[in-house]
Amino acid sequence: MTRPAPVASTGPGAGQGGGRDAVRAASPLRPVRPRTRWKSLVAVLVIAGITAWAAVTIQVDPADLVRNGGNAVNTLIQLVQPDYTFFPQTLDALGQTVQMAVIGTAIGVALSLPLSFLASRATNPDATSYRVVRFVMNVIRAVPDLLYASIFVTAIGVGALSGIVALVLFNLGIMVKLISEALDGVDRGGQEAALAAGGTWLKADRAAMLPEISPAFLSQTIYVLELNIRASTVLGLVGAGGLGMLIDKVRTFYEYHYLSLVIFEILALVIALDLLSSYVRGRIVR
Amino acid sequence: MNERPDAARIRFEQVNVTYPNGYRGLKDVSLTIEPGEMVAVVGLSGAGKSTLVRTINGLVPITDGEITVGEHRLRGLRGSRLRELRSEVGMIFQSFNLARRTTVLNNVLMGRLHHTATWRTLVGAWRADDVELAMQALERVEIVQKAYAPAAELSGGQQQRVAIARTLAQQPRIVLADEPVASLDPPTSHVVMRDLQRINQELGITVVVNLHFLDLARRYGTRLIGLRAGEVVYDGPGAGADESVFESIYGRSLTAEDVLDSRPVELA
Repeated sequence: MTRPAPVASTGPGAGQGGGRDAVRAASPLRPVRPRTRWKSLVAVLVIAGITAWAAVTIQVDPADLVRNGGNAVNTLIQLVQPDYTFFPQTLDALGQTVQMAVIGTAIGVALSLPLSFLASRATNPDATSYRVVRFVMNVIRAVPDLLYASIFVTAIGVGALSGIVALVLFNLGIMVKLISEALDGVDRGGQEAALAAGGTWLKADRAAMLPEISPAFLSQTIYVLELNIRASTVLGLVGAGGLGMLIDKVRTFYEYHYLSLVIFEILALVIALDLLSSYVRGRIVR
Repeated sequence: MNERPDAARIRFEQVNVTYPNGYRGLKDVSLTIEPGEMVAVVGLSGAGKSTLVRTINGLVPITDGEITVGEHRLRGLRGSRLRELRSEVGMIFQSFNLARRTTVLNNVLMGRLHHTATWRTLVGAWRADDVELAMQALERVEIVQKAYAPAAELSGGQQQRVAIARTLAQQPRIVLADEPVASLDPPTSHVVMRDLQRINQELGITVVVNLHFLDLARRYGTRLIGLRAGEVVYDGPGAGADESVFESIYGRSLTAEDVLDSRPVELA
């Protein structure tokens, strides 16, 4: 494909070698470096301005930190002395937290797979269903998990079921967003070939697109499980089961020795999950 | 020419293709490709080679005129009738178009999608005789030992042969190839072109192949179609294409960039 060496060239292009022996001066074609530095400066100033404005309007007074420091010290002293004898009484709530997270993840992730394919332009040729699913998912994602939990505690009742439903919606929001974007970015060659071989969009998406995103899907599933463990510790604060309900109870009675044990357990759980997820991810994603 | 009774004739009747941006891909193209031919389509980039090939399986819709492939009329063909046509026409792409993260065998089985029930596709339960067909196709392109390897692990030439196996699994009447060797080095290009030549000669499948390089086109095509600015400027045997024919296709005389092997082209 390469041009033959100039010596052998006898074709119409042979007369171009005139400047070959000239001193290598900067060619007039060399572009001037674009000036973009002032743009970065403006961006930094704007962001700093927004931050300052936010701090002022939200009425943050750093002096409060010093004024109420005495209380904080007392609480902190209790917090660094966890009462390990309380451990057996936390086991039920701990187990419930893990169960809620696992069930919520399983259901949310299973539902998110078909919805993700509907929510990507790369896999859904139908504009109407694409727009409807995108809109509904945006609405679902706009509501925070804690708000879902308090709504379902009111509607379904206090307990783990409310927590699970809240987690499912929370997971749907995250998974559909991440996976549909992964689909948008995947190479569509296999899909084109599958369509050219007479497959329907559903078949082509299943056969050619699913394998391309399955490592991302598994990896995000583990991430969502991690988020759910964290979230399900908090959901109990509004009555949706798990460790959070225990936190709420001991906090109300100012039992900070107990509270610190619960926090310690959450920490251990999250670290264990982090190790597990990096191990599994290392094996799946290449 | 070894004609199969069920092989399809391709007929273009004053076909025009205008893209949504106003670009005219094909202008008044009329030609007939007989079953069992091996046609090489040549021209500069933008001359309409890809458009010509991609209209035959409806990947590019025609604006005006009519294309007949066997008993199918392509104008306005949609839905299940279009998929039926596509199942009879195999296609090979410049960038191989494999699903890279799944196995070679799964890629070849995509050639069976049209004949596979949706539920089977969804759960991945391919029929045993389809798997057998896919394995045979892999044997034909001599890459069956890679059947369970991920497609991404294969070299470019091997990937293109998997793509050929995928079209063979379709048991097609026609194979279209859109710049099949443009991403390959010269020796591998010849391996892939010989594979295409073999399926044409041994199975009697019509092959329509776009080529950028004239020497490949003359060597492997029994018929040469030259396109320039969307119009057919040459249609005849490769051997009959002399310097003046190439000038009419390329608008200039031949240079080293128009041939794959860097030795000069011998013009008959």
